[in-house]
Amino acid sequence: MATSTGGPVAVAEPEAPGEPALRWRSRAHSIEEIEQELARMWAQQDLTVDMDGDGVRDRHIAARTSVMNLVVVARRPEIGERSAATIQRLTGRHPSRTLILSPADPDGPSWLDAQIQAHCVLPRADAPETCAETIYITPGGEAGRHLDAIVAPLLIHDLPVTVWWPDEPSFGSEPANDLFAMCDRLVVDGSSWHGDGLTQLRRLAGLAERFPLTVSDFALVRQSRWREAIASVFDIPEFLPYLRHLRRIAVTYGVREDASPDSTNIVKPVYHVAWLASRLGMRVIRPLAPLSSPVRRAPARFGASPPLQNAGGGLGAALRVERTDVAVVVRPVLSEMPPGTTLRVELLANWRGSELRADVTAEQEAVHARVWQDGVHALERGFNAPRRTDVDLLAEAIEASGRNPVSAGATRMAAELAGGPLS
Amino acid sequence: MTETATPKRRRVAPGTPGAPATKPGEPDPQVAPETAPDKTPHPSPRTKDAPRTMRDLRLARSTTRRKPAKPEDNPLREGLRLERVPDPSVLVLFGATGDLAHRKVLPALYQLWRTNLLPHEFVVLAIGRRGYDDETLRAEFRASLEKYSRVLPLDEAAWRSFASRIRYQRCDFADPAAFDRLATTLEEIDREQNSRGNHLFYLATQPSAFAEIVAQLGRVGLDHERHDGGWRRVVIEKPFGHDLDSAIRLNREVGKVFRERQVYRIDHYLGKETVRNLLVFRFGNGIFEPIWNRRHIDHVQITVAETIGVENRGAFYEETGASRDFLQNHLLQLMSLVAMEPPATFEADALRDEKVKVIRAVGEMTPDEIRGDVVRGQYGPGWVGAKSVHGYREEPDVDPQSETETYIAARLEVDDWRWSGVPFYLRTGKRLPKRSTEIAIQFKEVPHRLFRDSATDPDPNLLAIRIQPDEGIMLRFGAKVPGLGIDVRSVTMDFTYGSAFAVDSPDAYETLILDALLGDASLFTRADEVETAWGIVTPIIDSWANDDPPGFPNYEAGSWGPDEADKLLARDGRKWRRI
Repeated sequence: MATSTGGPVAVAEPEAPGEPALRWRSRAHSIEEIEQELARMWAQQDLTVDMDGDGVRDRHIAARTSVMNLVVVARRPEIGERSAATIQRLTGRHPSRTLILSPADPDGPSWLDAQIQAHCVLPRADAPETCAETIYITPGGEAGRHLDAIVAPLLIHDLPVTVWWPDEPSFGSEPANDLFAMCDRLVVDGSSWHGDGLTQLRRLAGLAERFPLTVSDFALVRQSRWREAIASVFDIPEFLPYLRHLRRIAVTYGVREDASPDSTNIVKPVYHVAWLASRLGMRVIRPLAPLSSPVRRAPARFGASPPLQNAGGGLGAALRVERTDVAVVVRPVLSEMPPGTTLRVELLANWRGSELRADVTAEQEAVHARVWQDGVHALERGFNAPRRTDVDLLAEAIEASGRNPVSAGATRMAAELAGGPLS
Repeated sequence: MTETATPKRRRVAPGTPGAPATKPGEPDPQVAPETAPDKTPHPSPRTKDAPRTMRDLRLARSTTRRKPAKPEDNPLREGLRLERVPDPSVLVLFGATGDLAHRKVLPALYQLWRTNLLPHEFVVLAIGRRGYDDETLRAEFRASLEKYSRVLPLDEAAWRSFASRIRYQRCDFADPAAFDRLATTLEEIDREQNSRGNHLFYLATQPSAFAEIVAQLGRVGLDHERHDGGWRRVVIEKPFGHDLDSAIRLNREVGKVFRERQVYRIDHYLGKETVRNLLVFRFGNGIFEPIWNRRHIDHVQITVAETIGVENRGAFYEETGASRDFLQNHLLQLMSLVAMEPPATFEADALRDEKVKVIRAVGEMTPDEIRGDVVRGQYGPGWVGAKSVHGYREEPDVDPQSETETYIAARLEVDDWRWSGVPFYLRTGKRLPKRSTEIAIQFKEVPHRLFRDSATDPDPNLLAIRIQPDEGIMLRFGAKVPGLGIDVRSVTMDFTYGSAFAVDSPDAYETLILDALLGDASLFTRADEVETAWGIVTPIIDSWANDDPPGFPNYEAGSWGPDEADKLLARDGRKWRRI
């Protein structure tokens, strides 16, 4: 006997364009019931209800739309809620069937609790609504260890499967591997991982080698304006030759005064180095290791940004391109910014006896690039870089996946810098 | 439907030997104006692109073979295409106090600024004849944005920072000293704002001012690109000329100052999302191209229908009419995108080479063919959208005896291997019942009617590409009606941009201005495209001038045009698609 309950949801006021509105909510306790609920939901010609009590149906749904299956693994309920809110904001841009999995107590008999919801978005005031479904699934007991068996029957045929793991992915575990085996894209946020994040980064790269999936890391996606700023320096034909003759890449990131050396996540600063190295065809000669001697800063010169307060420590590595060695320094400085935030990327290049220094810094909601050629200030550019929300990042990660060589190359190189991919 | 035998037209490309660029007795526009027949002929005046010596010619040839240096040469650019921000630059907006600047250009710039797609070091130098100062102009712009911005309410912080980038300079286009001052101002801005000598000149003025402004820019050296990379580009609004002669003359005047790669001729239809999607649809999908030819397609209909009249542009419209306002540019551009061969690369010249081949393959029509295959109309009084409206001749600034056409329908053929025998029916008009721009690809009927006992005849397959409004693509096919018998009905599969991607598409001007700042000319028309299109339209206009006056008005406002337009298709056993 079916135990599902629920149905259309009445709303008092029409939502504003772009605002997701809940139009359906029901409950189920097995995969079969979830399937029945989905069929019941979409079999309705008109999901909408009379909103102002005049007996007239006020709003019609144009289409149930899906462009992908989105599977979210949320180990904690609050992460599931936050992820769902993000995804609902994307209903218009990337309507998907979303499965939010929150495994509960792995002990005891198997059970499953599911909430089925439909959210609709009004693209414009005069347009019909577009709807997509979200299924919150809490599996308990043994069922929680077989996520792939829950996900597989609920996928929409032929559409790509994206797994978004907003928390700390359990790379290497069997349930996670089973899930990765059926997905096309994996979205993570490396800057939220524990410790320095480098071990997880190595596992992520190992995963990308084992499974034919595309990886998108919010930590890398966030840096797009930095990349634009750095690339813009070398759009100038006069500076382009220096790019093949880099001698040093130094990235400075912020730490709090009370932070221990290994407690700050440095995935973002490492990605800067990795992106440059992968684009320029460099290889790792010596992976990142603690610097044995204090970092010697080149004296600030010719209007360069003021020196940052060195917090001590830091990592060094060596890269090589053709027969030229490139020194890498990733060093912390005390900062009020969130720990692990990149504050500065410095490049030093020598070409035919001439020196080029590029200094890219973040200042409020902008990234600035400054260049000195043989000690003479040669360029200054600014790029607006407002802080992006999870909605922006998820949208960009989804759009970039599968066609962007930057992500794959940078992830692989970051893992090499950290000691090599881990299986 | 029957295939009709079509007379072969003489195919002549303007600018090629034998092109009837002029009427008998008129000076050849290819020759300098001062080269009168009684004078010793001079060589044609040179444009900047023309080789002057054999060495130039060799260099020009070797340059065309060599892959030009591009930003992609920077290895850090790989994968950053969508993140690219234009170089620091100054956009010099001529005609800044005019309608186009306020309705289209400024809202597009504001939107680009608001979404961080313009460089930090960006300045709009607004040029106009009025005695404004910076603040007056900014206040006017602000008022216009309140009306015309596609995202409202305005983002106050974005507006404030954008407004601080706007400067005004008074300039009488006929006054050389004003351009000297402009050059000085630009030098100052480059110095103060670090805009590095990158200047985009946007001509949003009356077309009559284009040549003069370009000449003055050349005189003060503002066309010269700098050795350190400072680029100079000019954006020219439509209409580009009013007939073939004037288009050639204008191209020549522009070409004396700017190289072709510096010139961006806007046809804003090319910036529309669905028009751009047409390229993706055709060349990004594998299933359509194999059937995109004379073997499978019966005919193509392209409709640009407007419900509005001439609004307050009666004087302008009297000089243009539907043929110049829409046929020469929008309709022929849409037709070229539908009919073009796949370009080798998605680069500006590869794309435009293929487009211009299509227009060249449309033969010049003889007067007899024009009488048979082109229909013109003018609206009389009527009802549009439950509103009574005047006829064209009663509109302000319109001659009460006007013979200007507000409607044109034409049957054209693209005489090449792919399209031979497939008619392209083009129509555009004002005061039609519905605002709609659409391309309809009508496929041929199935060779054998297996379901002849069906209660209704299924229509042949149809692919409709809606450009505006409600942008999307619809495919019509036959399906069995549920039941015991075999009854076939036509059903549609509908893709609507609004439902599949519930995000606002950028306005065409946003796309085009950003492309011009980035140096991507793919969506702009080239000199030869413009001239070739005029080579089709000018004989039509000339032929009308020699014919008896038409019995205007010949269609009621709110109808789908004159009866002759229906007869044009009925003659071929076809009818206009109901939109």
